[in-house]
Formats: sequence, C-alpha cells, structure tokens
Amino acid sequence: MSVKWVVWIGLYLVMGVLVPWATALSWAHQHGSELRPRPRQLFQRGELGLIGLVVVISVIWNLLQSQFMQQTIAVATVLLALIGTMSGDVWIESYCRQSTGTVCNHERTWRDSKNLAFLVFSMAVVVEILLDRFSKVATL
Amino acid sequence: MSAAAPALAPAHRRTVTVRLADAAVTVAYLSLIFALLLVSFPVSFPRIIVTSWQSGYLVLVMMVLTLVLDAFLYLRVSYLLKAKPTVLVAACLGSLPIIVVGGLSFLLESAVAQTISLDLPNLQARVNEEILAHTYLGLVSAIFLPFLVIRLLQQFKATK
Repeated sequence: MSVKWVVWIGLYLVMGVLVPWATALSWAHQHGSELRPRPRQLFQRGELGLIGLVVVISVIWNLLQSQFMQQTIAVATVLLALIGTMSGDVWIESYCRQSTGTVCNHERTWRDSKNLAFLVFSMAVVVEILLDRFSKVATL
Repeated sequence: MSAAAPALAPAHRRTVTVRLADAAVTVAYLSLIFALLLVSFPVSFPRIIVTSWQSGYLVLVMMVLTLVLDAFLYLRVSYLLKAKPTVLVAACLGSLPIIVVGGLSFLLESAVAQTISLDLPNLQARVNEEILAHTYLGLVSAIFLPFLVIRLLQQFKATK
C-alpha cells in the first residue's frame, strides 16, 4: 500500500495548522511579547473549518480526475462538498456573531470547527486510499 | 386568583438541539476504522464487503448499523443535554438512513452495470472497488445526512 496519501494529508496538517501556530510563536518572540498561543486559542474563531474546506476542495479535484464511475464521483463529491461547506460555515457563523455583537461562545466554536475538521481529514484519508487502490486496479 | 406556585407548575424540559459536531466525531472515528481495516486487511476486508453485497446482505447490514448509530448518537446527546427527544427528529432518524442507504444501493447497481457494459480490462477488480467506495459513502451519508437535515429544520424553526 502506497503511503503517498499520508504525506498528502500530512502536508495539509503541517501547512494549515503547524505553520500558522509556529508563525504566531515566532512573532511573539520577535516582538518580545509574552503571548504563547495554543492551537486552541489561535483557531478559536473556527478557522479550522476553513482549512477543512480547503482539504475538501483538493479531494474533490482528485475525485474528478479519477476513473471511478460517474455515480460514485457524484455521490462522493456532493457529500464532501456538503461537509466542507458545513465546516467552513462554523467560521462564518462566528464572524457574523462577532460582527453583530451577538453572543459568541468560543468554546463551542472551537469544538464545532475541530470536530468537523477532524471529519474532513478522516474522510479525505479514506477517499485518498480508495483513489489509490482504484488507480492501481485501473493501470493493471 | 393567585398564580400557581413555581413548585407546582409543570416542569418544561427543553427539546434537543442537535449540533453537527456531535455526529461529526462519530463519523470521523468510523472513517478511521474503515481506513485502518483497508490498510491492515487490503484483500480480506474488501472481499467480505463484496461477498455480502453479492449475497444481498450488505444493504440490510448498513441500514441496521446506521439506524443503531443514529439512534445512539441522538439519545446520547439528549442525555448529555438533559433534554427531551422530539417526534419529528425520531421520524427523521428512523426514515432517512433507510432512504439514503436504499437510494445509494440503486446508484451502486447502476454504477456496476455501467462498469460491466464498458468492457474495460480488469473488470472484476473495478467492480469490487466501486462496491467498496459505495459502502463507505453509504455509511457516512446515512449517519451524517439525517443530522444535517435535523439541524437545518431546527434552524428554520428557530428563525420562524
């Protein structure tokens, strides 16, 4: 079994989560600030949902280029698009609440975005494994 | 006439407000288990799925599994929130997984028929991969979509 999909998903985790966190720490260090944000604080407005949306777009693109039957591609694409939209919606709701002065629970926003991003990442892993398997079968 | 004493007034339990995050974690763990099984048993796990599809049990098993998981998730949320389950939600959770799995099984039949009609090389393996993909997508859809519908209905009701 190829591990290219592990590298692929790892890239998103590194570029989407670790790099912004490391950049925030580096900024604090450069400016002599006491700020030591944890990932939970850095993404408390639901930004993880946006990363989930980006992952979904990439998986849909890979699906569209695959040799699966159109029915399979359609089901997978619609499902991923729905989940990706709901994932991105967490950030949008948080932004709207803050902009309008409506009560915004950061704990709940963090939990929602974390859980939906987890779902997107786990689905992306399975779909990439399935795509990997199918590409091997198709080239035989 | 004086107002009823608060202690004598009937206790109103609020209804369960479903959040997608609750269902998302369960589906995510299910996906990881599916991925783990695929990686650990790349031949035998798909073979089990294909064999049960050929014998006609797969759709039935998926319906039962998703119904049980949906009911468990909903009851867990209502227990944690100490809230009252509603009839509308129960109806949604009772019917939507069956509709979703049933609808997807028709799509799978159509995809398999189309694959066979194309006369491609390595036909049996292609069909097996289609069945595997549809099984996974069916499981995820049948658990997640009912909660999405309930969430949207609740939001619509709240704005009304």
